[in-house]
Order: sequence, then structure tokens, then C-alpha cells
Amino acid sequence: MTTALRGPAPAAVLVMLLLAALPAAAQDEAAADSLGAAVDSTLASQDMGIQPPGGYRGQDVPVVTDGPFLVSLRNMPKGGVKATVQQYQYYGQWDLAAVMRDGISADNHAGWSWTDYRKQDKTIERREDQFSWNAGQSLPVTATILGNWDWSEDRTVNSASVSNLAARNYKRGSLNLSKSRLRTGDFVHSLRGIGQIEDQKSINLGQRNDFTEGTGSLGAQTGWEIAPGLVLAGRLYGTATSGTRSLGESDSPSSANGDTIGLGVYYEHGWAGGRVHVSQGNFEKRYLDYRRNFNGLIDTVGVGEGDKVLQEIEMKDAVSLEFENTMRLGRLKLDTSLARDMDDLEYAASGVGRKERQNDAAAAALSFAAGRDSFTVNFGYVYKWDDQRYKNATTNRGKQYTKGRDLAFGWYRELFQATDLTVKLHQGLTQDIAQDQFNDNDKDRLDSDANVKIDRAWSGFRTSLGFNYKQVKDIAIREARSSNNNVKDSYEIAPGYTWDLADWLMLTQSYRLYIQYTDYLYSDLPSVTRRDDYSKRGNLNTRMTIDATERVEITLKHDYNKRFNATKTGTDASGSSSYFKDQIQSTNKIELGLKYKAAPGVILEAATFRTKDIKDTYGTTTRRTTTFSGEIWVGAQVRKKWGRTSPLELSAAVRKYNAYGPSVTPTSADYWDADVWLKWSF
Amino acid sequence: MRRRTLAGALALGGLLLPLLGGCIFEPRTPEPPATGTPVTYLPQTSSANVWANLERSLNAGHAPGWEDNISQDVFVYEPDSQAESLFPGAFTGWDRAREVNFINNFYNSGVTIQAQMKDDGFTPPPDSGTQTTWEGVIYDLIITNNADNSVTRYRASAIITFTLEGNFWYISRWRDQQGESNPDSPGQILSSMGVLRGTFASK
Repeated sequence: MTTALRGPAPAAVLVMLLLAALPAAAQDEAAADSLGAAVDSTLASQDMGIQPPGGYRGQDVPVVTDGPFLVSLRNMPKGGVKATVQQYQYYGQWDLAAVMRDGISADNHAGWSWTDYRKQDKTIERREDQFSWNAGQSLPVTATILGNWDWSEDRTVNSASVSNLAARNYKRGSLNLSKSRLRTGDFVHSLRGIGQIEDQKSINLGQRNDFTEGTGSLGAQTGWEIAPGLVLAGRLYGTATSGTRSLGESDSPSSANGDTIGLGVYYEHGWAGGRVHVSQGNFEKRYLDYRRNFNGLIDTVGVGEGDKVLQEIEMKDAVSLEFENTMRLGRLKLDTSLARDMDDLEYAASGVGRKERQNDAAAAALSFAAGRDSFTVNFGYVYKWDDQRYKNATTNRGKQYTKGRDLAFGWYRELFQATDLTVKLHQGLTQDIAQDQFNDNDKDRLDSDANVKIDRAWSGFRTSLGFNYKQVKDIAIREARSSNNNVKDSYEIAPGYTWDLADWLMLTQSYRLYIQYTDYLYSDLPSVTRRDDYSKRGNLNTRMTIDATERVEITLKHDYNKRFNATKTGTDASGSSSYFKDQIQSTNKIELGLKYKAAPGVILEAATFRTKDIKDTYGTTTRRTTTFSGEIWVGAQVRKKWGRTSPLELSAAVRKYNAYGPSVTPTSADYWDADVWLKWSF
Repeated sequence: MRRRTLAGALALGGLLLPLLGGCIFEPRTPEPPATGTPVTYLPQTSSANVWANLERSLNAGHAPGWEDNISQDVFVYEPDSQAESLFPGAFTGWDRAREVNFINNFYNSGVTIQAQMKDDGFTPPPDSGTQTTWEGVIYDLIITNNADNSVTRYRASAIITFTLEGNFWYISRWRDQQGESNPDSPGQILSSMGVLRGTFASK
């Protein structure tokens, strides 16, 4: 139980504690897992936006009930620097962990960072503090106090030399109380309450966005073991927020309230286990917001200052139904699930108006093992729609449907000693449908895959052979969109091996041949400009790893690619198609890597590559372009620790990069990549 | 023996399932192209063509054109600070699936887009090897909502990484740097496409 308390989700804690109090017959581990997961996914606190308390370092140590009040106090200052091709960052932090008698603990994390971006005129400074206090066993309830402060200043200057400051100063404090294992007759209850205060001052694009709000929330859950292996659980949750908000030049009171009710039946009986769960939630929020158009995009251009910010009322009702079942019969396992989510969301001021949504999903997964064979069959079905009635409209926009279905089959067999066969087949269809054709974007996409792979492992020699076929049909339904409808067929053959030539020498080689045909379904029509095409690519990859000595490791790699793309020019009487090669490209890349263990905890590294790229483009004239690119870096890794009771740790990984090539910019041609930090614990 | 029989039956069943699934995996029959202007995309044989295809996709509101030019393997989107502060946590793990979801929601929302994905002063570097990076490219989108005729504008600088996958180039990383000034009102800083992604991703 103590372990569960460390988890980040209080819902799981609540349920685990609840289960612990149920009679022994109901404490079946599988049932507990099922119930915990079920309630965790639907607990009202998440729906209402109340953040759960974090973990508490103090609970990792045994509870001391006598002796001095302060059991241990640990400081962990840390400072470091990070560098990448994108940015430099300097940071410092100080962690403090105190453990007291009766399991009381307190943690604090203070941090500062400064980030300077190399590829744009941008800096970010951040300061933060996170505090937590846990009453342990000193109180008859579980009590925690959390504090949080985030401060940041993000300064950017764009390409037109216009600067912006995005600054934020956010503070939050909360008190969390919970009590579990309360028993009345056959019922076991858990209760939880949270009080929270938030304050934010922020500005971005010259517009302030401030708020000060207080939130109170209460939750209760009751479980009843109706019969051995059958548990009924119900929960209630309510929350209310009140305060003031300032947006732009407007100030206004703000509020939010919401509640959720849930009921679940959880069962575990011999060969079957699962759950049925239903929950309903709703909320109403009142706040200041910018004027928004029908799509919810901020739309304040050409609007008077006084009309840019509106008093918004947002209301949502949501219902969720879930069923899950797992059945085991010998070596056969069948998982099935059904789910439906529905919600209505309405805005009083935004042009969005009212939105309705429904998501249905069904899935079945069958797995079976027999002798040297094992099989899996998975089926999934999704049906969802959304509809909208714009503000002040008298009719709905029309439902936008999405339907999807997937069927996958897997077969694994040990053909003979050390030789395995894997076969995978898959087909999936997704469909977009606009009710009453309110748009022309109806389309279907059908994916079909077949994959066969054979792996063989001799002593010191491993081979694999893979074949893959994939077909993608992209079908736009409406006449205004269907001119690009196409079917892509691709074939891939990929043999390879790894050979341990000696203890110090390993050779890996793989070859990949990839062919793709694209057939445009309406390419015969004069108005359609797309023509069928054909492309082929061969790739040979060779890698050699040499452990020259116990300290030196050398890696050599060579990658050769040749590809061409061709467009269909005609089909003869026998049905054979002819293609014109538009482009032929070959790329050679050679790499060398070196690693040297200079001393315990110290590794020196270096690597380099060079690429030669030749591209021939055919048309009215033939054009050849040859480009070279490359990179070299040298670096070191250091891991050192001094002392045991108050250790000082150093971690450093530093690399200096130099690169060249046609797409390498000055900021990418010469830079440091580093992650260096020093930490002390005392 | 019974096990083998059962295994064989399951293997056969598993193999047949996708084939039998033809009825539920059959795309609808499309209408032959008759009206509208066909969207003409460029072959993805260079990073410049790929970026130009995004502009054509935006101007036509044609989602397949966007999906085809985004990496089929790994796509990463990194927002600028402003978008990240407006939609905290919304961009964590932003991958191809979420990008595709965003572009479909965006195009399906009844908008007309006028896009220029590259400022006039930007010269794309030539491709070399299997990866090319464009730094500081400024894109500009003017979006009209067809229902209320409201116009919003998005203009920002970005670092775009293109990767050669199979035989074609794709966008594998999109990093928005910062909002750029409104050309019609230079003192006004506009938002990046991160704000659009944040707004439409959850719809």
C-alpha cells in the first residue's frame, strides 16, 4: 500500500486503498488491477482540471515513530550547462528533502535557467520553486500541502526586428486531505478534499492575462462486494472555483463549477474478468476571452478595443460508457472492449456556438499458442462524428463522420532449430464522410500490408530475410476532388546478416530493394495532369565493429544508395508499360567512429562522415549535379563521483561539431553539443 | 495431433480473415473528376517540391496532398513558445497520426485558405544525401471562414527537416520558431500554425 502512495495519480491510490479494505476474496490481484485502472481513467478530479499532488520523497524511507523529530535532511545542489545546435542553456537547482518522525516529509525544488537560442534572436529565463509537505501518519487523515511558483521571461525579436516579451509569474498553493478504509457495514468508503489558490500575472504581445482564483473540491467513493469476485463501486465528485480575471484591458469576476458521477461493476471469476463503467460529468465556466470566430480562432482584426474581449460562459455535458472483458481458456486469450463517449459543448459568446460529439469504439484481440505456433488476430472499429451549430445559426452545420476498421493477423512459428518465421497481415480502412455533403472532402483510405520475415541464428552468425508488400488506396469521393485518386503498390525485399568473425570483430551487412508503382486512377482523362510512375531504390549497408583493444572501439560504416524515378509514357498492345526515367541518384556515405576509454569514467570519442551525392535529371536537357557533405566531431565523456556519504558527482559529455554541405547553415557548421553538470549531496 | 489440427485451422482462419474482410474493407466508388480544378502536385523528388505541395494542398483544401508529403514513418512537430503557452501539453508526442487528424479537421471546418509557404527572399538549399534542413523559412496563411466571412492570418518562421524515405522526400520535422509580423501592419506579430494545430487538433 505504501508503494501505491508514491504514484502520481491519487485516483489509483484511492482505489487501491479501497480494495485493501474489502474482504480477502475481493483482493484478487487481477481484480485490483482491473478496478484500479478503470477508476483511474475516469476519476472526476482529472476531468475538473484539479492537479493531483506529486510524489513525496519522504515516503521512500521507513516510518520512524520515536527519537528526534527530524530524522534526515538532505541537500542536493546541482548546476550545469547544456548546448545543442539549437540553443545554449545554463541552469542551477537546489533540491531539499526532509524526513521527520511519524512519516512526515517535506521536499523543495528550486531552479533557475537561462536559454539562449542560436538560430533566432530569442532568450528565455525561468525561475521555479516546488514545495510539498506530507503529514505522514501524524494525522488521522492523509494530508499534503503543495506549493508551486513558475516565473519566466521569453524575449524574441522576429525577422522584421519587432520584439515581444512573453512573461509569466504563476503561484499556486493547495491543501489535499483524504481518508480511506472507512467502513460502514458491507460498504467501504474513501473521501477526498482539495483546497487550492492560484495567482497569475502574465503579458504576451502587449496583452495581459491575469487571474486570482480559489478552488474547492470534494470527492467520495464507495465500494461494495456484492458477491465473491463481484464489486460495485460508485463515486461522486464536485468542484467550484471563484475569483477574478483580467484580459487585455478588461477585468471581471470568474467562476467554474462542475460535478461527476460514476458507477462501475468489476468482476473476476475464473476464466473471465472485466468491468462495466458509466460516468457522467458536466461543468460551467465563466471567464473573459478574446472574440472568436465560428472555428474558435481569435478574431479581433478590425474590432473596436471594447469588443475584443468578451465575457464567456462555457458549458459541457459528457457521458462515458465502457465495457472491457478478458477471457482465458487454456492457451487462448480473448480481450474485448466497447466504449462510447458523448459530449455537448456550448459557448455563449464565441462564434463556435454549440458542438456535439460522439465517439464509439470496439476492439477484439485473440491470441492463441499451440506447440511451436502462436497466433494473434486483432480487430478494431471506430465510429465517430461531430456536429456544430454556429452562434445565432438556426440549423446545424452537418455531421462530420469518421469511420475506421482494422483487421490484423499475426503468425509466429519456430520452423526448426534457431529458425523463426513471422507472418503479419493487415488491412485497414478509414472513411471521412460529410453529412449532406456540407464539404467536398469525403474520402476513403485503404491500407493493406503483408509482411513475412525469417530469422536464423547460428552460433556467431545471424541472418534475416524480410519481404514486405504494401498497398495504399487514396480515394476522394467527390468529383471536385477525385482527380488525384491513386493506388500505390510497394514491394520490399531486405536480406541481411551479422557475423561475429572474431571476439574483436563483427561484420553486419544488409541489402534493401524497394520498388513502388503509383497508378493514378484517372490519368487517362485529358483534364488530369498526373501520370503513373514507377520508382526503384537499392540500398547496401555495411558496418564493421572492431574492438581493437579493451580500450579502443572502432566502427566503420558504408552506405550506398541508388534510386531512380520514372514516369509512365505508354502501354503497348501486349499490355506492357514503358516508363521514362526522370531522375537517377546515387549516394555514397562513409563513416568512421572511434571510442577510447582513457581512464575509469573517462571516454574520448570522435566520428566523421562524408557523403557524395550524384543526381542526373533527364528532360529536354540532361543535368548532373554533384554535391558533397560531411561532418566531424570530437568529444569526451566523463563520469566521476567522489565521496560516499556526501558524494560530489560530475557528469560531462562534450562534443565539438564541424560540418559542411549545401544545406548546412553557419549555425550548424560550427557548434558545441554538451551536457555538463555537477551535483553535490549532503 | 489435435493441437496441430487446431493450429492449422487457426492459421487458415487467420489467413482467410483479411481476404474475407473484402466486403467491409471495400472503399466507396468515387465520382469521376468533372468539376473543380484538379490539384496538381509535383513529384516528391526534391525538398522544394514537397514544400510547394503543401502550399498547393492548403490552397485547394485537399488533405491527401498534405498527408502524402508528411513523413510516412516518423513526423515530429515542435511548437513555438506562444503556441505552447496557449495549448499547454497539446503538442506532446505530436506525430503523423495527429498531424493527419489536424489537417483533416482544419480542411473540414469550412475554410478557404490563401497560402504562401515560402517568403520571396528565401532560397531553398539544394538536397544532399538523405536529409535536408531549411532554416528560417517564413510561411503565410490567410484563412477565411466561409460561414461568417471572418479572416484570420498566420505567419511564422520555421525550421523544416526533409528526409528521403524510400524513393521520395517527406517532411519529417517541423519546428516553428516564432510569429512573424503582419506585412499589412508590421507592428503586429501574427501567430504560427501551432495555434491552428492546437485549435483543430482536439475537434
